[in-house]
Amino acid sequence: MNFKHKYFFLFPGLFVLIGILIFPIIFVVRLSLSGWNSYNPGLDYIGLENYIRLFTDDPRFWESFFRLSFLSVTTVILQYVIGFALAHMVWKDIKFKRFFRVLFLVPMMTTPVIMTVIWRTFFHESLGPVNDMLSIFGVAPKWLTDPVIAKFTVIIVEVWQWTPFMFLLLLAGLLSLPKEPFLAAAIDGASPVRKFIYVTFPLMAPISIGAIIIRLIEASKIMDTVYVLTSGGPGTSTETSSFYIFIKGLREFQMGYAASMSFTYLIIMIISLTIIAKVLTKLLLKE
Amino acid sequence: MDLVANNLSYKPDDQYHLNEVSFNFKEGNLYTILGRTLSGKTTLLKTIAGLLTPDSGEIEFDGKNFLKVPVWERNVAMVYQQFINYPHLNVFENISFPLKQRKIDQTVINDKVMDALKSVGLVGFENRKIQELSGGQQQRVSLARSLVKNAKILLLDEPLVNLDYKLREQLREEFKNLFSKGLADETILIYSTTDPRETMELNGEVIVLDEGKVLQVGPAKEIFENPNSLKVAEISNDPPMNIIEAKISDNHIKFEGIDVEAPQHLSKLTEDGLKIGLRSSDIELNENGHEFEVELAEISGSETLLHLKRGNTKIIVSIEEVLNFKIHDKIKINFKIDKAYAFHADGKLASSPFGGLNG
Repeated sequence: MNFKHKYFFLFPGLFVLIGILIFPIIFVVRLSLSGWNSYNPGLDYIGLENYIRLFTDDPRFWESFFRLSFLSVTTVILQYVIGFALAHMVWKDIKFKRFFRVLFLVPMMTTPVIMTVIWRTFFHESLGPVNDMLSIFGVAPKWLTDPVIAKFTVIIVEVWQWTPFMFLLLLAGLLSLPKEPFLAAAIDGASPVRKFIYVTFPLMAPISIGAIIIRLIEASKIMDTVYVLTSGGPGTSTETSSFYIFIKGLREFQMGYAASMSFTYLIIMIISLTIIAKVLTKLLLKE
Repeated sequence: MDLVANNLSYKPDDQYHLNEVSFNFKEGNLYTILGRTLSGKTTLLKTIAGLLTPDSGEIEFDGKNFLKVPVWERNVAMVYQQFINYPHLNVFENISFPLKQRKIDQTVINDKVMDALKSVGLVGFENRKIQELSGGQQQRVSLARSLVKNAKILLLDEPLVNLDYKLREQLREEFKNLFSKGLADETILIYSTTDPRETMELNGEVIVLDEGKVLQVGPAKEIFENPNSLKVAEISNDPPMNIIEAKISDNHIKFEGIDVEAPQHLSKLTEDGLKIGLRSSDIELNENGHEFEVELAEISGSETLLHLKRGNTKIIVSIEEVLNFKIHDKIKINFKIDKAYAFHADGKLASSPFGGLNG
């Protein structure tokens, strides 16, 4: 179609797109080539210096990145397993089905920051109810101050907060499945367990892939939970990429360096998520 | 090994889907369940398969309480009217699915699947995806899947109803071949259908089902010749048998000003409210016949179905020719009255030309 005024009508949409997406990305790239910091604010040009520093002289960034990979993959796997189990449970005709369906969604409806504050109180070493109850068994894990346990505390809170989202996606998927293959499988001699392995799970594969990818993207942005729960501590043992970038950029005001980290992070995420999606598709859909 | 049911009832809402259904199915036989849509055919098959639990009644197979056996251990196979397959598997995997559920050697599985593919004419389609097949081919796959199991009970729930005319004819022919090939030696074959013609062609033992109730049981020929009630006569004929309210007196049948001599088997019936039943094929066009008005003329295949009216009497006539009639045309027809049935006012058979309940 050759329409004279098409750019006029496209303009509002393009304007928003340029304003909120294209300009920021280009600006970050330009920023990453500058030495903008609190002493020297300004878009000067220092070449690839920031990137050289990032790749040769900043193990903290890479540690935080691998920590992030561990945290996001673990939480998403747990969310997937628990979410699938819950969705499968309320998919069947059970009593109080509607009640459970709503109940399982409650964590998602709460405000993450506030819930994390409550969790922090829960896990407080000497005053929290968790250790109060565990004192019956004579143990008192350092939920927030032990470098190893703190990671699992973050995982617990993340799983609690976001399993409902996974549950919702998977339940919608289960409800959209055709009923007929299940009838056929029962008659073909598949017990309930085999029916799950050979029919339900493969039929859910496309939905599972979508849900896992969506959650992986979300989980790799993990920031608020860490910020409130441990502030990256003890030391840097729960510090994730986004949290480290936040510290460098908005606390120490090394804007140029933070921009180079953001951009590197973006590229790595795009590449790794593409690979993960491909692998999952191959694994689950056998294509 | 017999499959025996006693007083099966199933009433999930305010209507009976099964109402005191009893039967005794013997191995090596073909049973046809004939009934209109919603008559309870599918419910009955699902109950036998174990997908439904009846409210009351019992099923015994091989002397054991069948209702206590879970579906996946029942060793039944079922073909549905919708072509049910596994959309995520290819043709080979679909057919081998029932075998994979037991511990069977892969080479045995391969052989059996190839045999099944051969018997339904789908050799070469092993690696196709289900979605790439036509409806008829999909139904063949589900048929092959049910055959491969060597199940003791094979349930076919209107397997041809969703196929187009040509495929239906073709598959029906294949069914007949399969059934006669000794497949049924140790198997109880149960085939449900709404189509009287299919029932007659399959020529098995027929169970006529209506509103969840068994109306009549007998060989196909017997159901056709001596339907025990008006309902059975309607269900087992397509188009349904014409029912005419008439009076018989002095050896004459009278209705709508028509007066024909009663044949021998009807002559003694003189009660009130008698209904005469006559198949649409037992009425012919005749220059010297009785005048009727055409209400509708439909051409179906090589047949013409005429919906005719005279006074309050409406009848359907089928003629083995393609004829063109206009609405409101007047035509003359003759009744082959010696083929007529008579039913009592309550719908029970009073007399049939084939000797049922004579006089």
